[in-house]
Amino acid sequence: MLYWEKWTGREGAAIQRVIDRYNESQHHAWVHRVSIADLPAKAMVAIGGGDPPDLVGLFSFNVPHYAEARAVMAMDEFARSDEFDLDRYAPHVRDILTHEGRAWGGINTCSTSALFFNRTHLREIGLDAPPRTLDAFDEAAAALTVTDATGRIQRAGFLQTLPGWWPYLWALIFDCPLYDPATHRAIIADDRAIAAMHWVQETARRLGVGATRAFSGAFPRTYHSAQDPFISERVSMILQGPWLSAFIREHNPALDWGCVPMPLPADAPEPHLARGMVEGDVLMIPRGCPHPEEAFDFLLFTQLRENQELLAKVHGKGSPMREISDSFREGHTNPEVTVFDAIARSHRARILPQTRIWKQYADMVMSAFDAVWGGESPESALLLVERRAQQLLDLDSRRNAAHGPNA
Amino acid sequence: MTSADRPIRVRRVHPWLLGVAWTSPWLVGLVVFLAVPVLLSLIYGFTEYSLIEPPIPVGAANYREMLGDGLFWRVLANTLLYTVLAVGIGTVLSLGIAVALEQRVPGSDLVRAVVFLPTVVPVVAASLAWAWMFSAESGLINTLLAHVGIRGPDWLGDGRWAMLSVVIVGLWGIGSQVVIYAAALRDVPRQLYDAAAIDGATPIGRFFRITLPQISPTVLFNVVMSIIWSIQVFAAPLIMTKGGPDNATLVYSLYVYRNAFEYGRMGYASALAWVQFLVALILTGMALWLGRRLVHYRGAS
Repeated sequence: MLYWEKWTGREGAAIQRVIDRYNESQHHAWVHRVSIADLPAKAMVAIGGGDPPDLVGLFSFNVPHYAEARAVMAMDEFARSDEFDLDRYAPHVRDILTHEGRAWGGINTCSTSALFFNRTHLREIGLDAPPRTLDAFDEAAAALTVTDATGRIQRAGFLQTLPGWWPYLWALIFDCPLYDPATHRAIIADDRAIAAMHWVQETARRLGVGATRAFSGAFPRTYHSAQDPFISERVSMILQGPWLSAFIREHNPALDWGCVPMPLPADAPEPHLARGMVEGDVLMIPRGCPHPEEAFDFLLFTQLRENQELLAKVHGKGSPMREISDSFREGHTNPEVTVFDAIARSHRARILPQTRIWKQYADMVMSAFDAVWGGESPESALLLVERRAQQLLDLDSRRNAAHGPNA
Repeated sequence: MTSADRPIRVRRVHPWLLGVAWTSPWLVGLVVFLAVPVLLSLIYGFTEYSLIEPPIPVGAANYREMLGDGLFWRVLANTLLYTVLAVGIGTVLSLGIAVALEQRVPGSDLVRAVVFLPTVVPVVAASLAWAWMFSAESGLINTLLAHVGIRGPDWLGDGRWAMLSVVIVGLWGIGSQVVIYAAALRDVPRQLYDAAAIDGATPIGRFFRITLPQISPTVLFNVVMSIIWSIQVFAAPLIMTKGGPDNATLVYSLYVYRNAFEYGRMGYASALAWVQFLVALILTGMALWLGRRLVHYRGAS
């Protein structure tokens, strides 16, 4: 069986260990993994061209599109479908795998993001950990920021532009859901998202648009290296995924760091519950692949708790399973894995909007974020995004109403 | 008579068939990899098609959607701006370098090689290197500017400078244009310069009254090719800015690619691509129309 996966390096080696276990566990099938860059686009071409691999490792935001197109097989289509048990997963993971009431793949690690902080820097201002409310957090970030005589930033306390991968996350922190699946409405020009963008804009205003852009622009391709802004101690606090822990250990093991959930606005309801987004890597079986039942057998094998825990440990991530083994946290590569686990299991955390237009919607939010950072009004920038996103959602709804999902 | 003694009969093949046979690899390539995809894209432009599901006919909906798609107009404007800058600056610069190189000063062959060298560097590698050089904080350009007391801009992070930065990377590869201009300059009859010298023409006068008219067909060729390439610019903005900041460098081809392979909207992307083709056709037509008035063909009446 041919298995296309995006991972390379340490993460690729971890999934290879699972594959090796599977290949040794039986004699009727053999899984061959191929690392593929820009996998979603290539998988789309391979499936559309009628020559898909047996298994493909995609992202959770791909699930709605592939499911609606029936480009992948649902888990209930296999002879041994009763062995696929959704109840074994943590609630948000279950939601990630499900679309239109059916499961479309197995999980292959899940992740969320948390606030990494440099403990040495925080101690300089008399703190052991970042404050829990945004107002106090902003004060701490300002106190940690060091600029030279020309206004150039030498060290940033915290910048929403770093790493700049999830501009919609700020809206989620302010409890804006981004999308209502019941009514198919885009929700981004509402008060919560606008408040989030005003908070973002305040940072740009305080430190200077030019200075912050120049500082952030110095780290365009340095993530996962010694030049990463947090690893190189150029930024004191950064919102990042659990994988960063492995890169810290590799490139700056002396760094004294910790992790907490992102601070919240002072008036946030249930402030004891962490906010964030839960994303996952999803293992799917393309429709029309040469060995679907054998692929399903392998997929079931990967979903065993010991295999998911092996992957999660090496990737530095929390467990996607509802029940965590006693040994999971022992020897885990990420000493702060409990923080990520708590965020992923918080019912205030969210999964990304389950709509096939999400990627386009996310790109529009990215542009709006840039515009707001540059001084544009959050209200007008977000209104433009919401209108266009709604146009696309309406187009999608009309298409589904007229033609329905593919057979 | 044994079989070995019989004369070998050679069947004559029609020259036309022989020609087709010899060119068949190219013909098959043309049909399979160009003609069929182009035709399919025309059809897909009238469908909702995501590659992984069958296309659904939607009439002219994709073309109507463009009218209300703010980003479509933005990328069109960005691409036209890029084209104007890249073609305008590129033509003046490459012609200037070619004229300078033709002055036969010592070392001009070496300079010609250096000017041509960037064209053999893959655009991905060049874009990555330039992205580092454009870094506002630690890039080579701003570091050099700082040495002369100038605080350089945020080349890639500031929307006002980002497009110019992408254009500069495009200009880095003008070596092939320079070579074409240099060849054309050598073809200008010497006696015209000699006659002009006797008449007391200045070097600038000689350039505008002899050189430029004489090489004007080459200028037109380079301008038309530059327009076509500029409208299709893709790799440099993808690698250097990913279309940002705030879509300031989001060019047409990048938008087509995103719709096709990131958003799963191959139908809309196909319609966009046909509009891109029409824009290229119109601009090329305008250049050729202007060329009819301005270009001097040697031997033409």
